[in-house]
Amino acid sequence: MGEDGDGGGARTVRLTKVYGDGAMAVRALDEVTVEFPGGRFTAIMGPSGAGKSTLMHCVAGLEDATSGKVYVGGQELGGLTDRRLTRLRRERIGFVFQAFNLLPTLTALDNIVLPMTLAGTRPDREWLDTVVRVLRLGERLGHRPSELSGGQQQRVALARALVTRPRIIFADEPTGNLDSRTGAEVLGLLRDAVDGLGQTVAMVTHDPVAAGHADAVVFLADGRIVDIMDAPTPDRVLDRMRGLGDDLGRGRSGSAQDEATQGEARGAGRDGLS
Amino acid sequence: MGRKRRLAGSFVAVFLGVTFLMGTLVLGDTLAGSIDGYFSRAYGDTDVSVRNATKVSDTPWGARGQIDASALDRVRAVDGVANAEPVIQGSGQLLAKDGTLIQSRGPRTAGNWLNDPKLNPYRLAQGRAPRAPDEVVINKMFADEGDLRVGDRTAVLTPARVPVTVVGISRFGDEDAFGETSFTAFSLEGAQRYVAQGTDRISGIWLRAAGGVGQDELASRVRPVLSPGTEAVTGRAQSEEGMSLVESGFLRVFRIVLGAFGGVALLVAAFSIHNTFAITMAQRTRESALLRALGAGRRQVVAVVSFEALAVGGVATLAGLAGGFGFAALLRQLFTQFRIGIAMEGLTVSATTFLITVPVGLVVTLAAALGPALKASRVPPLAALREVAAEAGRPTDTRIIVGSVLAAVSVAAVVSGAISDQMPMASAGAVLSLVAMVVLGPVAARRAAAIVGGPAARLRGVPGRLARDNATRSPQRTAGAATALMIGVGVVTLLTVFIGSLRASLEDGVAGSFSGPIVVNGGGNETGGFGTRLVDEAERLPQVRAAAGIGNGDVRVDGKIANVRVADPAALRRVLDLDVTQGGIAGPDTFAVSEKTADDRGWKAGSKVTVTFADGGRQAFTVGAVYGNADLAGDYLVPRSAWNRHTRQPLDTMAFVDLKPGASVAGARRALTALAKPYGAPSVEDRDAFVASRTEDMNGFIAVVYGMLVLAIVIALLGIANTLSLSVHERTRELGLLRAVGATRPQIRSMVRWESVIVALFGTAGGLGLGIFLGWGLGTALGNPFAPPAAQLAVIALVGAVAGALAAVRPAKRAAQRAILASIAAP
Repeated sequence: MGEDGDGGGARTVRLTKVYGDGAMAVRALDEVTVEFPGGRFTAIMGPSGAGKSTLMHCVAGLEDATSGKVYVGGQELGGLTDRRLTRLRRERIGFVFQAFNLLPTLTALDNIVLPMTLAGTRPDREWLDTVVRVLRLGERLGHRPSELSGGQQQRVALARALVTRPRIIFADEPTGNLDSRTGAEVLGLLRDAVDGLGQTVAMVTHDPVAAGHADAVVFLADGRIVDIMDAPTPDRVLDRMRGLGDDLGRGRSGSAQDEATQGEARGAGRDGLS
Repeated sequence: MGRKRRLAGSFVAVFLGVTFLMGTLVLGDTLAGSIDGYFSRAYGDTDVSVRNATKVSDTPWGARGQIDASALDRVRAVDGVANAEPVIQGSGQLLAKDGTLIQSRGPRTAGNWLNDPKLNPYRLAQGRAPRAPDEVVINKMFADEGDLRVGDRTAVLTPARVPVTVVGISRFGDEDAFGETSFTAFSLEGAQRYVAQGTDRISGIWLRAAGGVGQDELASRVRPVLSPGTEAVTGRAQSEEGMSLVESGFLRVFRIVLGAFGGVALLVAAFSIHNTFAITMAQRTRESALLRALGAGRRQVVAVVSFEALAVGGVATLAGLAGGFGFAALLRQLFTQFRIGIAMEGLTVSATTFLITVPVGLVVTLAAALGPALKASRVPPLAALREVAAEAGRPTDTRIIVGSVLAAVSVAAVVSGAISDQMPMASAGAVLSLVAMVVLGPVAARRAAAIVGGPAARLRGVPGRLARDNATRSPQRTAGAATALMIGVGVVTLLTVFIGSLRASLEDGVAGSFSGPIVVNGGGNETGGFGTRLVDEAERLPQVRAAAGIGNGDVRVDGKIANVRVADPAALRRVLDLDVTQGGIAGPDTFAVSEKTADDRGWKAGSKVTVTFADGGRQAFTVGAVYGNADLAGDYLVPRSAWNRHTRQPLDTMAFVDLKPGASVAGARRALTALAKPYGAPSVEDRDAFVASRTEDMNGFIAVVYGMLVLAIVIALLGIANTLSLSVHERTRELGLLRAVGATRPQIRSMVRWESVIVALFGTAGGLGLGIFLGWGLGTALGNPFAPPAAQLAVIALVGAVAGALAAVRPAKRAAQRAILASIAAP
């Protein structure tokens, strides 16, 4: 994809992110150049602390890069004001997080159209109906998040990400809180979004099975890209991860729950590395 | 970091409450100390003073009657008297250089300059003592006020106009005046001529004891030579007496007003403290549960929380003590600025102040924290392992039932108290209704916030809607934050409505009894006024149909101290409608009382009463008339003819003037103004201006009420800000999500701000509603008309709403600035 390409997608050029300074400085990303091509499903993998989430956050405009460049759909993010960045997120980027995806006071439908209402625009009715139908949410639109199952919540989040027709959807451990069956369903929906709707998806995950749904896997270790694998399968991914010495490569979703209870206070820097 | 914020929230609430309480108490102490200082120096080094034994007034400025001057020679002859000087003190109003009366709130006195510096509490700051009868020494405050210098010519009204030359300027100790008292000192001869108006009577004798003779000893030696009706008191006793009069009068009122401020502040603060602890506990549910899971008993959890409350309360109370000093210093500055007439030096603290403040600070904190602590102890251990909602969303049935019953009972009490004129019942209902409001707050909060938030949701788009939803999602918390404001606004509204009723009642009374076009108004000073001759002159004006003056005085009626109006009843009847209900005003010698006094003391027309005048003279009167309208005539009307037999300085404070048909009001006003000029130029007002000026005294109350409003709102505002901060902290992830999916910073700020405004409007509206209802109830119970001052209520509503927006400033900023990642990245 070129810088002005219409096909969507995102890319980085020598992206570096350093947390803290002096002796305390941590180099989370070290001159990463990577592309998330339009219309493709890319997974980002790597051991804990490899910089997966930092990469995603920088590309999504949630965090400033220390140096290097980030392009989303041809738009360079560096130097954008907070207002422009916010607009960019609203219009060109979709998010699906592991948890706390939805506002508890809003209904499912209100959550889905939230980016539009924030922008003061009306959703495209036809497209909204399509998304709702594809994600099988028709019955649930009037419910609040507390009345939905975990899988339903993630589907609502995915609908919200899709409804703005973004250049790219970032998914951060979207199945981390789900059982394997529901997780597979959500991954299938992401796959469908790419195949059927032509979406671009970038997904951070620990789970080789999840990565197996992607078109390509980018492996990160110590803030650098160490490998890129096309047409991955869970087994190949697992092998590659073993090669990276990641003993956490398996059953990650099972331990996520424990981590969730570890407490609330975390510095921003450490969050980026988790 | 969240923990630090929570501690800070509780700390601030306690700190503010204690600061206000301490500050007001210290100010009271300081004022008392300063006044004490005044009185200890009021009589110089006088050991014993001889004075009239009859006391007719409880006010510190209420002078006693005169005594026979012949006592002086007998007292001087007593063994042990080193020096005895006659003292003359009476009414004397000093005119400024421009010929107008120097306006002051203190007593306006004139007398003789004591040449014995040990007896004289005043010192010459400039010039010399008076020698000729028309030479005077004036005190510095009034020299400054009146732009008078040594050598200037001016006049003193005693009440006749006495032209004088200022030969000296005095100071009272280190002060420019004794409070705000003006003291114009003549030579003895001058004072005899103009103030005592004769050499046969003096106000008293001040004595200095010879070496080795104590005050009590000297007093007991002097007593045998005094005639009946005259007494000798020691200087010490006289100072203490003056102080105790201030203590039970002005200072008591002052302390009550300050105490009310402190009370309102503490009440509002208590709710803030409670709400902060409640939120803190909710956010710490998991911690409590972990303690329980590890084997802590319920009581231990309560102990942990109580200990924390005590620690926070203790530290905050200590800080509040220090803060209180600062606040008192600030108040002192404020009061000095507004010239309450008492110079306060330094700050005085009595032990009582500490004994009140420290326990109150601790107990209020503990009490406010107890509920949340008990709740924390009921957390099941399992909650440690689950993601739990911060607090229960629905009010319990018990709360609804208890609250409804309380509300029904209190409303019934207020309404029936109002209808049957039973103030105690209405008051009890009022107090109960506050409790009901606190109990019912959370029940009403969800719906109320939804209604109040409706317009915001419609007009402000997503931020408005989210704000409304956030305000309704935890009714307990919303109600808690709003309650502080509700109580503050409620109390203030109640007072505003109540004062409005009083004002309307007074206006009705004044307007109803006086129908003439012009009033000569001598002002509100208790010792001020103009010579009674002005009325005689006014009556002779060609335009004037009738004129009547009315003066003030103190007497004892059947032994009881009474403040009376002095007038010629026959003349008064021609200009005022007193609504006579019994008997009739037969002539200038009719003694009359108000209906209320007649009821209280069991009198009717024809009852016999004995009046004791300040000089000790007694006279038997028959109640000639009982009148209904006491707004201008007061509770007792003593005939001028009888009064003047006991004073040589008769004064009127007001004169009512009616004109002949067809006479020009403007022309008559001009004529009267010219006439009044030599009398110190009292203001000649038309009827409307006069009616307005009569209710002007109440503006002081209004100022006090607004002061309370500001105070209550500041504290409530901090409470709301605190609640918001904690909520923002709790909703960090939501905020991050909103930002991630495209909410701009202004949108986030707007959301927090509107939530705050909704909470504030809920509190303000609740307080206004309650205050108006109670104001109606209490006012009606006293028989006053219901006249809520719309403008002032609008101001209160506006201030409440603006306070909401202000309270949100910091939390909104913090919410908007919070890094998106910090909020969403945590799994």
